[in-house]
Amino acid sequence: MKKKKKSFYFEDYTESKILDQNSYFNIVKVSFSRITFLSFIFLSMLITCSIKIIYLSLSTEKAFYSQNTEKNFLKNRRDIIDRNGNILATDVSLYDVGIRPKLLNKKEKKNLLIKLRLLIPDLDRNEIKKKLDKNNFFWLEKRLTPQEKDQLWLIGNKAFEFNSKPSRIYPQKNLFSHILGQTDDINNGISGIEKSFDKDLRNNKKIKVPLHLTLDSNLQYLIREELIKAQKDFQSIGSAAVLMNITNGEILSLISLPDYDLNQRISLESESYINKITLGVYELGSVFKTFTIAAGLENRIINSNTVFNNLENSITCDKYTISEHDKLPNKLDTEQILVRSSNIGAVRIAQKIGIEKYKNFLNSLDLLNVINFDLEEIGSPLPFKWGKCKLATTSFGHGITTTPLQLARAYAILGNGGYKIKPSLLKRNTKFLEKKDQIISEKTSSEVNIMLRKVVSLDEGTANFANIEGYEVAGKTGTALKYNSKEKLNTFVSIFPASKPQYVLLVMLDEPKPAPNFVYEFPPSEKFPNGYKHKGENRNTSGWNAVVVAGKIIEKIGPILAINNLQASKNF
Amino acid sequence: MINKDKWINSLPNANSKQNEELLQIDHNKWVDTIPKKSNYSSVKKYSFMLVVFVCGLFFVSVIKNQTRILEKEINYLKASISIIEFNLKQATLDNEVITSPENISKLAKEYLNGDLAYYKKSQINNLNGDNKITKKISKKNDSKIMNKLPVKIKSKVEKKIKKKKEELAKLQELYNDPRSIPGEVKTKVSKEIQKKKFELKSLYESPKELITLQRVGKWGMVQVVKAALGMPIIPGR
Repeated sequence: MKKKKKSFYFEDYTESKILDQNSYFNIVKVSFSRITFLSFIFLSMLITCSIKIIYLSLSTEKAFYSQNTEKNFLKNRRDIIDRNGNILATDVSLYDVGIRPKLLNKKEKKNLLIKLRLLIPDLDRNEIKKKLDKNNFFWLEKRLTPQEKDQLWLIGNKAFEFNSKPSRIYPQKNLFSHILGQTDDINNGISGIEKSFDKDLRNNKKIKVPLHLTLDSNLQYLIREELIKAQKDFQSIGSAAVLMNITNGEILSLISLPDYDLNQRISLESESYINKITLGVYELGSVFKTFTIAAGLENRIINSNTVFNNLENSITCDKYTISEHDKLPNKLDTEQILVRSSNIGAVRIAQKIGIEKYKNFLNSLDLLNVINFDLEEIGSPLPFKWGKCKLATTSFGHGITTTPLQLARAYAILGNGGYKIKPSLLKRNTKFLEKKDQIISEKTSSEVNIMLRKVVSLDEGTANFANIEGYEVAGKTGTALKYNSKEKLNTFVSIFPASKPQYVLLVMLDEPKPAPNFVYEFPPSEKFPNGYKHKGENRNTSGWNAVVVAGKIIEKIGPILAINNLQASKNF
Repeated sequence: MINKDKWINSLPNANSKQNEELLQIDHNKWVDTIPKKSNYSSVKKYSFMLVVFVCGLFFVSVIKNQTRILEKEINYLKASISIIEFNLKQATLDNEVITSPENISKLAKEYLNGDLAYYKKSQINNLNGDNKITKKISKKNDSKIMNKLPVKIKSKVEKKIKKKKEELAKLQELYNDPRSIPGEVKTKVSKEIQKKKFELKSLYESPKELITLQRVGKWGMVQVVKAALGMPIIPGR
């Protein structure tokens, strides 16, 4: 034991004389070298193991199953939902199928053609054959559903190449075509909301939060249905409508016909496919008389009882003749000018106001400028030079252009007490209007509202068909001739309920025709307590078509709006 | 002559015996002074560290393995969540299409009679009023039906209605005031409940005790009869 002990000291005192003399020194030296050798091998093994462990620890999750599952359901764009949470646009996985002809011989190509013909009967056989002969890769079909892809996959051909990718689909098809817009093959927004909010919709941080719109699918559907019916009844080439909350500018419905199915991309070169509400710029006719009277009231040049004597049936300005649409009394007050839609009366009021004041008033309502909106498809009113004749024609809405959206907004401002609003398609958190920027006084606003109500409620008014019981509809008709055409553009802008305005509805019919076979139903009134039915009408003014459509729309959407805010139901 | 001893002795403590003892070097004395740590050799030290390291490595690999298993599980769960999410999305999408206004109106046209009727204010007011008309109509209808029936059936129906009404009134009274239920009924019910409870408890605790000879014999007899009649002995097979 003692000897062994000494050998331990040997390690520490190798140079001491005591150990030099030890006879076991050589044996120990041998064992030491063995230990170092073994420990070297062991250490090297340890180092390799440690490196592997570190590598494994630092490596990220690369398990194939996790990659596969997550890749399949990757979303590219945020969902778009309406005010009730209904999905308007969403991403789904669709498949593009391509063929690599190089992998096939002649026989296999023939077989493939036969199988494809059996599976897809509509396929152009000659075209596919040409492409197969060229031996270059080509896409056979795009945006296939998983079921369609499976059917092709079951053919079991090696030349098929399936590419899964998130694609945009629109469950409501045509309903929001002009608002939502479309995306291209690589899911970039190319029109509508998809384009104007492209960056926001692609924001990965918000990918699970849908884009909330102010639109209501039910209202949109009901209004669209009525417009489609109207197009049949009055044989118009197109129509449009917009429903807006006048307190906050939220757009509940925006329709422009003809429309298209967003899921089936088609070429939209025809002008009739444009968004008539935001992009279309039109001469809208007598609806401008409201602004003429409002300008007079606001500038305290007239009041609602101001009487205009000796009103001619027609006047001339330069080469142009301005006349009444009907025989009207030669003495009318301001209210009657609006109710009976007198052109000469409007001209007289505008002449009293003067060019500058009238121009400023229209500018304050943003009727002559391009407005800021959530869509990029915005039309700009045509510029013109002001003059005496221009003042006369603009007073009753001729020779002045604007978009229906701007018109609806201006009416909303007139209806809400004169407060500026911004039309919006995006749902905001603020429920109530921030009453900051007042353009028109509340007095003018309420006076105009009363007059507009009379346009609908009085027998001599031009919009009797919109006098729907319980909704206190107020509004103004507008009949205009299209530029360089004999065809008409009939508009009706309504505000309801008139006692406490909540909504503005604009209905526009593009080139309507007289409808002698249409049965007009008069609502019950003092004159006709049980209502009245009329057939064989050949007049083609707004009051005989656009107003009828608006009335039907209000009758249908009224209960929904009342349920939503409990306002009308309480008043009922 | 210089006496060296004389000089040496003149040195302080030169003559002391202690110095002589000190000058004699004992190696064992030196060795003992080596600190105790020298008992552990470097080989021992390294081998200990090696063992610790190897053990550490082993545990790391075990832990790593366990975490890998957990990771796998997490991934599977993630995969299943995403599949469920996908299915949910598909279902929501289907729901959107099925419940779209267009589809609902199509179904309504197919299955409902005619268009929806819009009630007017005047109509609703009449209905919300005294309901005189509706009362009159219902009374008229009731009286018409009753007049048509023979007298015997009338009296029978009236009696039955009376009986039912009385029974209902009694039950109502009982439910309204449970204290009024007689004590005997209450104790009877509670005893039955206790008995059932005990039976259930014994069945769960010792199910074997229930298999008595009598029961087995009875069951056997039933099976023999069944076999004789050609019925399957064990139901379902």
